[in-house]
Amino acid sequence: MRRHHFIIAILALVLLAWMTFLDVVGDDWGRLDGSLDNLVIFFSESIWPLDWSVLDASPPCEGAEGFFCSPAYTGIIETLKMAFVATILGFVIALPLATLAASNLSPTWVSIPVRIFLSAMRSLPSIIWAIFLLIFIGIGPVAGIFAMALYTIGYLGKLQYESIEGVQNAPLEAARAMGLKRSETSLHVAIPEAANHLISQLLFMFEYNVRHGTVLGIVGAGGIGYHINNQLKFLAYDKAAALLIVVFIVVVAIDMLSMYIRSFVTEEGDVKRPSWGTVFLPAGIAARYHHKKSTQDEEE
Amino acid sequence: MPKELAKLDHLAVGYDKPLIGDVSTSINSGEIIAILGPSGIGKTTLIRTIAGLIAPLEGSVERLVPKRGGLGYIPQRLGLVRHMSVKANVELGARCRTSIWHPAIAPLPRQLRKDVEEAIEKLGILEHLNDPVRILSGGQQRRVATARALAQKPQIILADEFLGELDDDNVEIVLRIVKQMVRKQGCALVMVEHHEEIARSIADRIWLIEDGKLKEVDP
Repeated sequence: MRRHHFIIAILALVLLAWMTFLDVVGDDWGRLDGSLDNLVIFFSESIWPLDWSVLDASPPCEGAEGFFCSPAYTGIIETLKMAFVATILGFVIALPLATLAASNLSPTWVSIPVRIFLSAMRSLPSIIWAIFLLIFIGIGPVAGIFAMALYTIGYLGKLQYESIEGVQNAPLEAARAMGLKRSETSLHVAIPEAANHLISQLLFMFEYNVRHGTVLGIVGAGGIGYHINNQLKFLAYDKAAALLIVVFIVVVAIDMLSMYIRSFVTEEGDVKRPSWGTVFLPAGIAARYHHKKSTQDEEE
Repeated sequence: MPKELAKLDHLAVGYDKPLIGDVSTSINSGEIIAILGPSGIGKTTLIRTIAGLIAPLEGSVERLVPKRGGLGYIPQRLGLVRHMSVKANVELGARCRTSIWHPAIAPLPRQLRKDVEEAIEKLGILEHLNDPVRILSGGQQRRVATARALAQKPQIILADEFLGELDDDNVEIVLRIVKQMVRKQGCALVMVEHHEEIARSIADRIWLIEDGKLKEVDP
């Protein structure tokens, strides 16, 4: 495709989107005229200045004081714990399913039904799962964890089988010709070959679940979202906004952390630091270790 | 007394149209067969069909060896698991010798673990035992693939240009070990080879592919 073809295609898509937008909106522009004024009034009267009292202790707390007893802290910690458990649970269930769904490991009559199952898990967002589970389990973090885990299975499972399908064919063929079982080929050939991607996806999924954990709290499934929802109910937007900023800071921190860890497991990072032992070392030390190792290799 | 290990009966191989047709021959224990011919003529396709990775277009391949572990295959690109250690790769070969009920997640029995170390030692890559395969040189990787076949103890080894870019010393080591396997264990080696001189020097039989036909010629 030539460059001007590409530009024309993009312009055509933008035009199509604009026409679709007009079609969807019809004549109902709502209060778009005065929206900016409304926003300014809402911001200056209800949100600003932020009410940081959410960082103060709000008893009852067991053995914790000050900040560590605040809704912001207890809420975000609960969200992090929920996301962690849900991600690990989802990962452990999704991985065997992904090997069944991968077309290079399983016959079509196995892979197609598993794929349909994974899409079904994925087609309901975790918030809908949470609403279902709240009916069964009741309000609290357990419903939130299961909701996230169910969505994780569908979403992570898809990412995983796609990376497994992307592994080189030669090792799989050698394993098949040798007569290794499917379970052996999956465990000892396909998963190790795709390991870098699988780890990177796991970290991404954790970060995703932390973000979604916030939303789940709003329907009553625990975590910081529960506190945000409480503040919204009392129209305490200044407190809710303060809590949202806490969430924002944590999400950015996790994103940076996961970017950092992922840099070790992508192919380029792989070349940079070939040892798993250095994954959790600070970059400077890891680089020095690597430098030492590569000079040793050259000497040999 | 050589035993028949595989029988090719009016075999035609290819993807859409046949590359090689009407092949009727057999592979017997204790023999080295070299497949020669210009590139693109279907040597790899033939070997992959014998390995059971492609269905024959016509005729049949009858493999008279156990389905599990009876056949070893070293593809052109070696088929090693790049992110795993040398040991883990060679263990894959030995894993074929466990029973079908041996769980995939369970470690290998002690005897097989010993065989794995012996194979690695024989190929002279013991110092790389725990190194991931991807950091090894091309020649070392070929030794790992050979060690994997050695630990597997298959009855037929199908090797697709596995001497590849090996230097002379490495060719000598690998060939000596493979020959030993054929003579001592009575397995059969079927190799596609570009180095015609080497092939003629070690092969008992030559399959020459020309104009879509397989001809048996003297080495």
